[in-house]
Amino acid sequence: MSKIEIQAQPVVRSRVLMPALVFSVLVGFTLALFLFPALIIQPFKYQSPRGITLAMAVRQVAPLWSLASLAAALLFAVILWERIGRWTRPLLVLGIVLASAATVMSRIDYFEWMFHPAGTPGFRSADQAQLAPSEMVMAVNLNGDARAYPILEMAYHHIVNDTVSDVPIVVTY
Amino acid sequence: MRDEETGTWWQQITGRAVSGPLQGEQLDPVLSDELTFATWKGENPAGKVLAPVVKDSKEYESNWEPEVAKLPVVISFPGTALASRDVVIGMEVGGASRAYPLSALLSEKVIEDHLGGLPIALIVGPDGKSIRAFVSTVGGTDIELFRNVDASDWSLMDVSGSSWDFKGCAVSGLMQGKCLKEIVALKDYWFDWRNYHPATEVYKR
Repeated sequence: MSKIEIQAQPVVRSRVLMPALVFSVLVGFTLALFLFPALIIQPFKYQSPRGITLAMAVRQVAPLWSLASLAAALLFAVILWERIGRWTRPLLVLGIVLASAATVMSRIDYFEWMFHPAGTPGFRSADQAQLAPSEMVMAVNLNGDARAYPILEMAYHHIVNDTVSDVPIVVTY
Repeated sequence: MRDEETGTWWQQITGRAVSGPLQGEQLDPVLSDELTFATWKGENPAGKVLAPVVKDSKEYESNWEPEVAKLPVVISFPGTALASRDVVIGMEVGGASRAYPLSALLSEKVIEDHLGGLPIALIVGPDGKSIRAFVSTVGGTDIELFRNVDASDWSLMDVSGSSWDFKGCAVSGLMQGKCLKEIVALKDYWFDWRNYHPATEVYKR
């Protein structure tokens, strides 16, 4: 009788504790894949060359790794669901929600929320353009094909992809 | 900057791929000018102007530069010759780099200098705002340019008496028909230029 009790206790604990620990690590890892680069790459904040290299490397692998990590976390959540009490289950749900959000964010270029891409550029003739004479433009001339990119527009969109005289160029400001 | 084809991240100022599948690759720079619309249109009446994106055009900030000038800088170089937000014309020739304070260029109108073993000229255009830079040689001969202050209109001369236009071409005199080679002149804040050109010098008259 007493022999059974001594053995039963550790078995029950490890049936919950170990999967719960792995689940927590997986959720934490998925969150870190999003949060680590997000905290390093902030506008108007200095990034050391090492920090930015690391953050960029994480962003490159994050889409795949976060998906794999989320899938594994889901597996452990299913395993744990029947083994824990109903009051602990919301923690599992919270973990999955957070990890899912991080997985989505890892696959989104959220910087583009700040910078609005110009899309496919439209053009006007020099006579039709409604620009003040003193307005500054970025000017490119390739083989006689002359283009003007008003600073007013470039300072908002920052990047315009264009093709000038059959040469694909990117105009940045 | 990130490209959609490969997800590579590119550094704006250098055009170098810093992270991702194309890491280490380099985009070729294209020569570009910062000109007033009037000057550009005068030179390119048949040129095309980027149209505003209709849904965003209300957000365009005509005061963008003064607003940006107030923002904090992410890196600074105390003890250097200029303040972080001083605007410079950054020049890189033959491995050498030098920053020309915009205020100095605007007051001098023409700067003749040597950089990386080449004679160069920085010129403020007739509108007082547009700036171009050239290698100031023709067939191995140095061309010393200066503004003819006696002329009523904007006039750029060399010591041989030829007169030049803002495109860097001689329009009269001995050199008529000859053109100087235009080179990249990057308008930038001092802290940014200094960050990417640690060995840069600063132009002094």
